[in-house]
Amino acid sequence: MFLISLTRIIRFALQNFYRNIWLSIITITIIILTLFSLTSLIVINAGVSQAILTIKNKVDISIYFKNSTNESTVNPLKEKISAYTNVKEVELITASEALEKFKNNHKNDPLIQKALQELDANPLGPTLTVKAHDVNLYQQILSQLKQDKIDQLAEEIDYDDNKLVIERLEAISQKVQRLGLIISIIFAIISLLVVFNTIRIGIYTHKEEIGIMKLVGASNWFIRAPFLLEGIIYALLGNIIFWLLFYLAAGFLQPFLFAFFIDINFNLINYLVSHFLYIFGFELIIIIILNTISSFIAIGKYLKV
Amino acid sequence: MIQFRNVSKTYPPNVHALKNATFHIKPGEFIFLVGQSGTGKTTAVRLLIAEEKVSAGRIIVGGWDITHIPRRHVPLLRRQIGVVWQDFKLLPKKTAFENIAFALEVSGSENSRIQKIVPQVLKIVGLEDKAIRYPAQLSGGEQQRISIARALVHRPKILIADEPTGNLDAVNTREIIDILQKINEFGTTVLLVTHNRDIVNSLKKRVITLDHGIVIADQEKGRYFL
Repeated sequence: MFLISLTRIIRFALQNFYRNIWLSIITITIIILTLFSLTSLIVINAGVSQAILTIKNKVDISIYFKNSTNESTVNPLKEKISAYTNVKEVELITASEALEKFKNNHKNDPLIQKALQELDANPLGPTLTVKAHDVNLYQQILSQLKQDKIDQLAEEIDYDDNKLVIERLEAISQKVQRLGLIISIIFAIISLLVVFNTIRIGIYTHKEEIGIMKLVGASNWFIRAPFLLEGIIYALLGNIIFWLLFYLAAGFLQPFLFAFFIDINFNLINYLVSHFLYIFGFELIIIIILNTISSFIAIGKYLKV
Repeated sequence: MIQFRNVSKTYPPNVHALKNATFHIKPGEFIFLVGQSGTGKTTAVRLLIAEEKVSAGRIIVGGWDITHIPRRHVPLLRRQIGVVWQDFKLLPKKTAFENIAFALEVSGSENSRIQKIVPQVLKIVGLEDKAIRYPAQLSGGEQQRISIARALVHRPKILIADEPTGNLDAVNTREIIDILQKINEFGTTVLLVTHNRDIVNSLKKRVITLDHGIVIADQEKGRYFL
């Protein structure tokens, strides 16, 4: 009995789907558009976070030592700074490495090349670059360096130049996140209302049929179940079609995006592949819940015959 | 078979659709419920299939007191009473066969039984060759015959027809009445709600007359006298 009813419900849901094919196409289109706005938001958020992370990673404290300082002096300092709890890593650039780097950076400048050739000794000293766990911690590290009198050993500590950038970045990052959240919420609400209304209008067109079904002796759940199932079919198809389109579009846009995001190391396709199950599952569940609630409320109105 | 005991139905704020109606329909009867528009005929039908609840009095159908029938029992009641409406009430996206089968499917009937019964009832109403047509592809008379076929699938003891010929021409009206008479001859109680004077007068069956919600006449071999 249960099995018979179940197969009938599935058959009715499929029949409803293809005998009202235009309504089905419209509903699925709305779901696809909703998913487009949702996924775009997720991807933009991920891109912005990655950008902020990349820029934050570029921030560091550079401690330049005099060219007379040898590595045996610098190495213990490196160990010492590495031991700070707020420090993520310390890199030592030796005097010769610094020179190589400098030569490399100015290889197209014949004047500097010539000047370097004139010099007998390496004018550069070793450098320590310090990276913190968080941009907010650099001030703390600076005061620790002062406390340990490392600033006295160094020729220069280069941080002040970055300070303003970091502060601005922090402010921008917070604003972007706050704005992103507000936009996300607004979009989510719009999407909810659109899907909710689409499903309701769909069921409204079946209003008379629901009444007839009741009059010929159908129980409420026998009427409701095919509609709920139809909603799940919409959600599944909408999701699958959307992801196919989105992947195609991402593949097409990737070269342009790559050029745009080259500095921040954000690969859209890789991001989508690695987060596919998470985003797909999340969106599928959201759309199914939304469809179910909308269908439930909409049908309930017409079941009181 | 059907008992109305002092049944009243009042719609807010103060519209009395039925007032203290009492009558008893015996098994196997063919009975007319007549009256002008708005006299409570359709209300009586809606009360019988629990589409509405009575304001006062009691209704008993086949020994079952349905006056305060719980919502979950309503589908069971409706599967025992066949109903035919003026506007046919066919599902537009289902074929004739599927419309009839639907009434069986909702009650969990086996597929084999559906495959057997649906062609039988289609034959009774003479539309076995139109099984795969959608309602929009059928004439009014044919749609009404499909709706009668659907009402018959549960082999109901009672068939209620609410103005079944209201939307039909004279020829189709005659055909529908012939089918209803045939069904009655098989032993089904038929309650025919109408305000078609010619049908009532030609059949010479029992007639219950309603006027402003009150039963004003109940005659064996009656006539339409309003």
